[in-house]
Amino acid sequence: MESAQNRLQAVSRLPWIWAFLAAFLVWLATIIFTQGQGSAQILSAALSFATFSVIVGIGQMYVITLGPGNVDLSIPATMTFAGAVSMKIMDTQDAMVLPGLVIALGCGAAVGTFNFGLIRALRIPPIIATLSSSFLVQSAAIAYGRGIKIKPPPMLAEFTTYRIAGVPLLAICVVGLAVLMGVVLHRTVYGRSVTAIGQNQRAAELAGISVGFIRFATYLLSAVLAGLCGYLLSGFSGGASLNMGAEYLLASIAVVVIGGTSVAGGFSNLPGLWGAALFMFLLVTMLNTFGLSAGFRLILTGVIIVGVITLAGGRKQS
Amino acid sequence: MTTAKWITLAAGTALALAAALQPSVADTSGKKIALSNNYAGNSWRQAMLKSWTKNGDAAVKAGVVAAADAFTTAENQVTEQAAQIQNMILQGYDAIVINAASPDALNGAVKEACDAGITVVSFDGIVTEPCAWRIAVNFKQMGKEEVIYLAKNMPEGGNLLEIRGLAGVFVDDEISAGIHEGAKENPQFKIVGSVHGDWAQDVSQKAVAGILPSLPEIAAVVTQGGDGYGAAQAFKAAGRPTPLIIMGNRQDELKWWKEQKDANGYKTMSVSIAPGVSTLAFWVAQQVLDGAEVPKDLTVPFLRVDQHDLEEKLAGTEVGGVANVEYSLDEAKKVIMGK
Repeated sequence: MESAQNRLQAVSRLPWIWAFLAAFLVWLATIIFTQGQGSAQILSAALSFATFSVIVGIGQMYVITLGPGNVDLSIPATMTFAGAVSMKIMDTQDAMVLPGLVIALGCGAAVGTFNFGLIRALRIPPIIATLSSSFLVQSAAIAYGRGIKIKPPPMLAEFTTYRIAGVPLLAICVVGLAVLMGVVLHRTVYGRSVTAIGQNQRAAELAGISVGFIRFATYLLSAVLAGLCGYLLSGFSGGASLNMGAEYLLASIAVVVIGGTSVAGGFSNLPGLWGAALFMFLLVTMLNTFGLSAGFRLILTGVIIVGVITLAGGRKQS
Repeated sequence: MTTAKWITLAAGTALALAAALQPSVADTSGKKIALSNNYAGNSWRQAMLKSWTKNGDAAVKAGVVAAADAFTTAENQVTEQAAQIQNMILQGYDAIVINAASPDALNGAVKEACDAGITVVSFDGIVTEPCAWRIAVNFKQMGKEEVIYLAKNMPEGGNLLEIRGLAGVFVDDEISAGIHEGAKENPQFKIVGSVHGDWAQDVSQKAVAGILPSLPEIAAVVTQGGDGYGAAQAFKAAGRPTPLIIMGNRQDELKWWKEQKDANGYKTMSVSIAPGVSTLAFWVAQQVLDGAEVPKDLTVPFLRVDQHDLEEKLAGTEVGGVANVEYSLDEAKKVIMGK
């Protein structure tokens, strides 16, 4: 009895458990409303769409972990740019799927390097630097694509929408990516350096960590993941469009925060990203299913998100 | 030479005589027109700007006006657009054509422009300031027309899924009101679900995929444009039969419709406002500068694509664009005269 209680306490101390719990409760409320109809399909759809938030969320989490003031606001523009360029170059040719991926990642790398150049060389705060570079990148995407919507190669479309017994293949891959990035964060010198810088940059510097290089690598990582996300999302939704990244600015930050990562940096939480991404999708689904008006839906979304963050944050301190 | 002579003559004669002569002479060749646009980040706006530039450049070349410059704000913010309009006043434009970020929040800047003697013409995103001209679309009727089409082609009725636009925007409220009014008049249709797709196909796909499992069989999807293709993707991904989806004239939507039509005789219709309405706004501004009598409120017809002219309209729409109609001066004059 006592050990069960202890175990419960231990579980409740895991900061990511709250996001999963919230996702589960929202899902439960939805299927109670629909009387069980479509419960499995809702989860399947949630996994599909959460995948994209998680990809950009991982990059954003690394950046936020670097400490106060670090955030990447260029994610949506990078997604659009990488999606537009890779779709246009692949031009629906199956043989170009891999070169297209390389190009999308390359676009991300270019933006990441540029971001860090602004931050380092011009000493602009990251929030301003990434915001202004996002204007440039978005304009480049518009100039390059002019609203063009080219279909993805059939092979890429097939891969991004493929399901194994209702479970999206892409979601399985991204769970793998999350595990990998978790190992990188906790077990490698690079990952530990990111956390160390977030906890105390001066101490990290004195301990011999090359702060500049680690920060560069982290902004690069975030932009490359945004490029990957733009590429996959274009495949999933039948082409790149100019406003395809717009939703992922707030989403990338929200999944990080709701997932239990500290906004002040130095403490990150990877499993929470999945819980938070599922929660965000299921929350909108629940409110849509209830058929509430748009205004009420937005208010409830805000209230529930604040509630979950308070709950997760409050437990952490105690 | 003739112009110079004319001016000398006019200066030498009484003002009254000059005023009496002027209406017969279309002299806007020295006038500068500017476009103040609040957003450029989707295919419709890109097509709108393209039409403006094409038409404006031709007009400048032909000597109809001196300049037809387009400016777009970066952030889709009211304050930014108000500042932009103030800059245009200072730069000495004779007319400002506006696609506004807000129907009333720009009224102060618009009034300033009017007071400075500048002609202000708003279109698509119109402004309520009385001194400005308004070129509007009857969005409510557009929504209603969708349900009327369904009633004609689906007499047995059924469940409808509604995809709305951006919450809180006037256009979204109007189209939705029209759809609901249509559904009320045709009670064989029942709106069983409503989501916001922000006129973007990926947002629509996500929203539809979320609500779809909880819905009964859907007979048709009523939309606002830019969202039909995303809805089709969501139905396909959920493994459900594709319902009749009303389209919104985007090339990807028309192309998808054509593919379905060829494969299984899929039937629907498509309706939206043509981005070339910017060219109509240009000519209205030019006509006002020319001294023509133009009513303050003009209505443009929406552009509809049906089963029989799908191929023709699709062929005339460039990849990634929107089905379009551009206005010539004569066509604009017809709209002004209410024909």
